[in-house]
Amino acid sequence: MTNSNQYWKGLEEIETSLSSTTNQGEFGDEGLPLDEVFSDSEGLSSNRRDFLKYFGFSVSAVALAACNKAPVKYAVPYVEKPENVTPGVPLYYATNCGIYNEGYPIVAKVREGRPIKLDGNEKSPLASGGLSAAGQASILSLYDVHRLPNPVIDGEEQEDWAEVDKAVKAALKAAGSKGVRIVTRTVSSPLLQNAINKFKEAYPNTEHVVYDPISYSGILSANEQSFGKRVIPNYRFDKAEVVVSFGADFLGTWVSPTRFAADYVQLRRPTEEDSTMSRHYQIEGLMSMTGTNADYRYPMNDSKHGLLLANLYNKLGGSVSVPSMDLPANALEKIAADLRSAKGKSLVVSNSNDVNVQVMVNAINDILGNYGSTIDMGTSLNISAYDEAAFNNFASDAGKGNIGAAIMIGVNPVYHHAKGGALAEALKNVGTVISTSMNMDETTESASIVAPDDHWLESWDVKEPMSGQYTFSQPVISKVFNTRSVIHSLHTWAGNDLTGDQPVMDLAKAYVSDLGAPWKQSIHDGFYSKPVASEAASFVANVSAAASSIASGSSSDVELVLYQKVGVLDGTWSLNPWCHELPDPVTKVAYDNYVTVAKRDADEVFNLENGDFVKVTTPNGTIDRLPVLIQPGQARGTIGVALGYGRKVNKQESNDLVDLGKNAYPLTSESNGSTSYLVSSGISLEKVGSGYTFAQTQTHWSIEGRDTIREATLSEYETNPKVRNEHAPHIVSLWNEHDYSKGHHWGMAIDLNACNGCGSCVVSCSIENNVPIVGRDEIRRRREMHWIRIDRYYSFNSGGEALTKEKAIDSKVDGGEYDHYEKVSTMHVPVMCQHCDNAPCETVCPVLATTHSTEGLNQMTYNRCIGTKYCGNNCPYKVRRFNWFRYNLNSKYNYHFNSELGRMVLNPDVTVRSRGVMEKCSFCVQNIQMAKLKAKRENRKLAEGDVSTACQRSCPTNAIVFGDRNDPNSRIAQLFNNNRSYKMLEETDVKPSVVYMTKIRNKELEQETTTSHS
Amino acid sequence: MFEANIRKPLVTGGKTLTDVSNDICRPIENKPTKLWWLGFSISFLLLMVFVGTIGWTTWEGIGTWGVNKSVMWGWDITNFVFWVGIGHAGTLISAILLLFRQKWRMSINRSAEAMTIFAVICAAMFPLFHMGRVWLGYWPLPLPNAFGSLWVNFNSPLLWDVFAISTYFSVSLLFWYLGLIPDIATVRDRAKTKARKFWYGFFAMGWNGSARNWHRYEVVALILAGVSTPLVLSVHTIVSMDFATSVIPGWHTTIFPPYFVAGAIFSGFGMVLTLLVIARSVLNLKDYITVEHLEAMTKVVMLTGSMVGLAYLTEFFIAFYSGVEYEQYAFQNRAFGPYWWAYWTMMSCNLLAPQVFWFKWARTTPWFIFIMSIIVNIGMWFERFVIIVTSLHRDYLPSSWVMYSATWVEVGIFLGTMGLFFTAFFLFSKFLPVVNMAEIKSILKSRE
Repeated sequence: MTNSNQYWKGLEEIETSLSSTTNQGEFGDEGLPLDEVFSDSEGLSSNRRDFLKYFGFSVSAVALAACNKAPVKYAVPYVEKPENVTPGVPLYYATNCGIYNEGYPIVAKVREGRPIKLDGNEKSPLASGGLSAAGQASILSLYDVHRLPNPVIDGEEQEDWAEVDKAVKAALKAAGSKGVRIVTRTVSSPLLQNAINKFKEAYPNTEHVVYDPISYSGILSANEQSFGKRVIPNYRFDKAEVVVSFGADFLGTWVSPTRFAADYVQLRRPTEEDSTMSRHYQIEGLMSMTGTNADYRYPMNDSKHGLLLANLYNKLGGSVSVPSMDLPANALEKIAADLRSAKGKSLVVSNSNDVNVQVMVNAINDILGNYGSTIDMGTSLNISAYDEAAFNNFASDAGKGNIGAAIMIGVNPVYHHAKGGALAEALKNVGTVISTSMNMDETTESASIVAPDDHWLESWDVKEPMSGQYTFSQPVISKVFNTRSVIHSLHTWAGNDLTGDQPVMDLAKAYVSDLGAPWKQSIHDGFYSKPVASEAASFVANVSAAASSIASGSSSDVELVLYQKVGVLDGTWSLNPWCHELPDPVTKVAYDNYVTVAKRDADEVFNLENGDFVKVTTPNGTIDRLPVLIQPGQARGTIGVALGYGRKVNKQESNDLVDLGKNAYPLTSESNGSTSYLVSSGISLEKVGSGYTFAQTQTHWSIEGRDTIREATLSEYETNPKVRNEHAPHIVSLWNEHDYSKGHHWGMAIDLNACNGCGSCVVSCSIENNVPIVGRDEIRRRREMHWIRIDRYYSFNSGGEALTKEKAIDSKVDGGEYDHYEKVSTMHVPVMCQHCDNAPCETVCPVLATTHSTEGLNQMTYNRCIGTKYCGNNCPYKVRRFNWFRYNLNSKYNYHFNSELGRMVLNPDVTVRSRGVMEKCSFCVQNIQMAKLKAKRENRKLAEGDVSTACQRSCPTNAIVFGDRNDPNSRIAQLFNNNRSYKMLEETDVKPSVVYMTKIRNKELEQETTTSHS
Repeated sequence: MFEANIRKPLVTGGKTLTDVSNDICRPIENKPTKLWWLGFSISFLLLMVFVGTIGWTTWEGIGTWGVNKSVMWGWDITNFVFWVGIGHAGTLISAILLLFRQKWRMSINRSAEAMTIFAVICAAMFPLFHMGRVWLGYWPLPLPNAFGSLWVNFNSPLLWDVFAISTYFSVSLLFWYLGLIPDIATVRDRAKTKARKFWYGFFAMGWNGSARNWHRYEVVALILAGVSTPLVLSVHTIVSMDFATSVIPGWHTTIFPPYFVAGAIFSGFGMVLTLLVIARSVLNLKDYITVEHLEAMTKVVMLTGSMVGLAYLTEFFIAFYSGVEYEQYAFQNRAFGPYWWAYWTMMSCNLLAPQVFWFKWARTTPWFIFIMSIIVNIGMWFERFVIIVTSLHRDYLPSSWVMYSATWVEVGIFLGTMGLFFTAFFLFSKFLPVVNMAEIKSILKSRE
């Protein structure tokens, strides 16, 4: 009955239909195939029965649909569509990360006008593409409900900035001859520096005081003594074939860790063609993340590092008179030999903030000829210019009432400074305290005028984190609150009224043109490099004096090291749930700070157990109550407490971030004019309670001798590239395998050599995939929701034997041996869903909520999930996560999911899961889909690099590679065939789509044996 | 009728046919005793605990339990397997013993079948309410739906469970009800009030005791017995496949089907013994449920207990013999890991304790049998706990090793199903004849 003749109106019509494959809409949409459905031979020539059938169906469908009252939602279209903004299509802007002083270049992903994700700007020479965990998490500071919505004058919110300016100008005028102090962090922004200069011109009685929470003045002063330049030089870990670190956690927290990690890994990836690999010695008291990555690690109290350095100096050809000292098994000689053979290609660093120790470090680096190669004095890092003496003057002037007005810009010394309490009192004697903090913090509480700064994602700025390297900030969102850039404020207060819509942009533009850089290109790229002439450094310091001062230092049985944790760092940005939900890379404890103690000390000296509470008494102050954590690998005689906890803000809130941990800054002190994070005497621990349960994401430390993680030495790898992977299980399959011959076949490779355990991927994944924050109690119940975790395993060395079984480890301890508890070697293994081809989870789901895609993805259909949890049980990798509660809009989980503002950070491409469904890593399927659509729209095939996962992008060391295994030229296809690659639990025949690459350590096999016999 | 002198009579006390009707109908026709009220009140209270804890779970989420990222099943599935296992004795007694013409079953099959039905109801609560989204609990049913072409996964053992248990439940219910029809008719005929007459009449479905009725009855009973017999084996086989088909060391075991069936019969007889020892004294049915009956059942308990014990030892041997380190560790960890107490409770209750039934005294002393029956059920509960929790808490990757302990909500739900079970049982004993009068009359030795 249907008319099968086709009539057409013109040639265009046939041509269009012929070329329909190329003529797709912007989103590759082809419309619904309704014609196909309705154009079968029967067509609509239905008989009565069919009619009744359709009729009945339609009526009941309509009736059913009518039963449900659909919620009314309003979508307001743009009246005038802004250029480039298409709903659903992200925009990327290069800017830089404003937390800490690194000025780290990033790319912000912006959806519908709101930034939702930050990644490193891989084009910049300062970034590898990765971004630290803290940097990832920092995006939430933009959407922080605790930000000040308006300026505040005398406790009252003020909407009009003119009033603020009036009040400030009056205060500055009143300051008169007493003068004004501007307190800032180390200024890496030339625009801010110019503003301060302008301000000084207007108020000549002004002093600029630099204050940083973490001091590097030991290094600064040492360089001043050694080379006459008070700078932190650029360390080139990418050129250092022998790295000797005395306690410096340069991959986690020291100076500029993200960039160092990227540099360090350059020489940590041996291949079959080129097996060059750096050798890394770590001598440290605590167990740092960097220490876990070392080839050789020697537990040694930090107070002895100075002496060791002096001895090393002597072994390298220097001569200073110090008592001789060595590491176990004459290891110092071995280090010296390695250093001697790598002159100019080695690097010695130390975490000490003691000028004498740093002079010794400089002397060693000088004798090794490292200046000019691995240490570049010409390009200095604008990380810290903090000078304790200047700040102490400020504090004492404030106390004496000699300051008319103080402008606190982005600093919080009341919290961070050892004498913060006294400072809070002293600030009361200052005429007017003006703060530009975005949030109400401990210092801002003393301020009578608060003129909140813009968030760094809302403002223009130029940073010079390294000499000659400029990074640019541009606003990626219009202002969330009534704030104003501090640069703008300073100019205004200086009487230099800026005009125009975006005055700071004009300043930036002017600055950029002064640099000779093209404006548009610079802002587009986010960075600009200017060649810097390298300078010859001639070492002039008095090494003998430094050595004798080191030698005269005393040490005692117990010493305390105050350290920073990855994620929380110095604590400035620690009111961020992502930073705390991320477990510490070494201890795997989330949320708390604690006293880390060596096993022997806990058993024999202090008589403590894990979870006991202690009172820590030091000459500088006490902490009433902190839980104890026994840390393998820690040197006996050293205890550690992390800084950055015990913030006293947002007290009205009810979540785990309020009053979290104890503030350890009061335990720091000053010696030799620099802040000391080492308290070397007068420490006592007193047990005041017991029974604390840490929120630990991993409680079993040892691998129990299992073959799931693989490690070999470099020499083994050189002789046999397949080392540890020789014996692939012989697997026979009863079924036809999945057919991936067409289309894509996604896979991931994780290089265990490159992974340093920093946890940046964990935070990145949580942000990308809207993973909920569950808080301390839920982690205690072992219910963290992270889709990717980093397993950390210790192997205990005892007499050349690597103990990985709990029983063997414990029985040694029962026999009174503790050596193996210090000689610990550590592995970090990131584990996410392995997207198995024979996925055990898929077969057991009764409702097919988890299925296999034709591209090898193991998919999770949240809507279909009924929550039997069978899949989670049957997962050999235990990567599935269940929504035990409703985590969003739930007063029990009072984090960013609960506020309108906090939810702005959610990724609109990923569903927020409801209670009762399973979730897990999806290989960022939303990115795959986005890339596929884009490629389709551009009528091309997917290319390498089009698709990336969040974990991969955030990794500073590029340890994670993701791609299409079906593309023989792709990196992933090559890595799957690499001899180092193996599949975890391959013998279970689940056929994972993730390969791990055997970790290679540049150490000799029998090293531990000789140690124990000597 | 020929009377063998060597066989002891199955019903003692020289009961006449009238006595049987009078004795069995007494609890139905009289006001409940104080003891009944006491038992019922306690059970009902526990049932309310069930309602409360299940309500809380449904309102708040599964997070109210102690389960976590690695041990995602805890007390819930332990209890599920426990209750399903208990159900088995009823079917075994009514079907297999019927086929084998074991006449001693006649005085206990009614209550055993009732127990089966209530136990299966209790069991079904767990897979239902352990779902994260219980309101979608009908999705595992292969129903045509409007969600697109969504269908269920026939590969999933959980789906097999759905079929196995629903089949089992419906066949058991039919069988039980069929057996009840002549007895309900008896109660109807004796009824003195209109309401009784109406309701018992309604459920008697017009039974008139004609030869035609009896013929149909016998035929259907035989057919249902034939249908149920494979179910005795299949249900727990399929439940065991929830574990056996998985990849988790300690679960991935081919021995599970026979081992689970033996365990189910073991625990089922344990529960029947518990109930009957109480029932025969509370309802004064000692002449019908004699020590002979108890003794026969203790023999089954001893046999199945030893089978289960053999399975435990076999598992251990196979773990060692397999050479698979994960398997070996899983079993070592069961016996000597942090949950050693659960393992040794299981071993002593299930393997060692029933060996006392080699002694005649132990088999014929009701109070002792009662204690033993409780021990058996404790042991079997722990067996399921050991299998589920100790396998999950330490599987392949040590980083995910955890400990698990139940919260008050989980304990409450378990106690609550006890309440559900006993409430149902008390109501059953009040409103329906607990012994099959019609059948028992056929084995009376003293006839009028």
